[in-house]
Amino acid sequence: MAGPAKGAGRITRLALLTAIALTIFMAEAQIPALTAVPGVKLGLANIVTVYAVFALGPGDALLVLSGRVFLGAVFSGQMMTLIYSAAGGLLSWCILCLLQKLFTREQIWLVSPAAAIFHNMGQLLAAAAVLRSWAVMAYLPYLVIAAVLAGLFTGVAAQGLLRRLERLGK
Amino acid sequence: MLFLLLAAVALSVAALLFRDTGLPSPAVRVTRDGVLLEEIDLSQLDQPRTLTLEDERGSNTLQVERGRVRVSAADCPDQVCVNQGWISDGAVPIVCLPHRLMVEIVGGGGELDGGAG
Repeated sequence: MAGPAKGAGRITRLALLTAIALTIFMAEAQIPALTAVPGVKLGLANIVTVYAVFALGPGDALLVLSGRVFLGAVFSGQMMTLIYSAAGGLLSWCILCLLQKLFTREQIWLVSPAAAIFHNMGQLLAAAAVLRSWAVMAYLPYLVIAAVLAGLFTGVAAQGLLRRLERLGK
Repeated sequence: MLFLLLAAVALSVAALLFRDTGLPSPAVRVTRDGVLLEEIDLSQLDQPRTLTLEDERGSNTLQVERGRVRVSAADCPDQVCVNQGWISDGAVPIVCLPHRLMVEIVGGGGELDGGAG
């Protein structure tokens, strides 16, 4: 999967990554909530997002991310969640693109938790806007802790994925 | 970076441990889109109350007892508000995002020790 691709090759790769991310997203949606705190989940589909930012660059990663977020809302039948996923996804994508320039591929495990924190903050900001109240910020401490744990997990997974796929590409 | 992440976690843990969830006279406040729908004094409540809040997005059924409140039923797809169960302090509100409804406990006393953290 490593190395530049153009035309059909690029489209095929993006479609494949979107399909993988969507499958992971839908499979994870079947797992019952881990805690009573809303919004706490592993976010396994973000392994693909993190991988895409580091392997393909910001632009292609955004295409995969927005495709997955939109289709995920359609397939799960919860269009209302689109605002929150989009807000979280976009904010974490911005942070990922920024950190991708500052950190190496050996530090993805550190970059991913930071992006996860901003993902959850983006969702909370969207919720605060929808509810027109800052009271939801009471969830922030829970969501930061959950984001660091989940982000470490997805970061380690994305880092391993990138290393193995690059070895395959050689 | 590692330091920043650890600091964020430490701050969050501290916020959870040291936050003040005590309220002098607890009341349930229900808002939709930031507009107040109901306010019920929890310390003056003699018997449990059930109320249903409906609008064009859907309905939520609230169960209010002395000192606590929960959403007992909702016709939203995710059921996050129902699964959250009872809340009895100002620590976190119950939120139904699809219906833009928020149920929080405000105003309350030191005797309501929220068991923070």
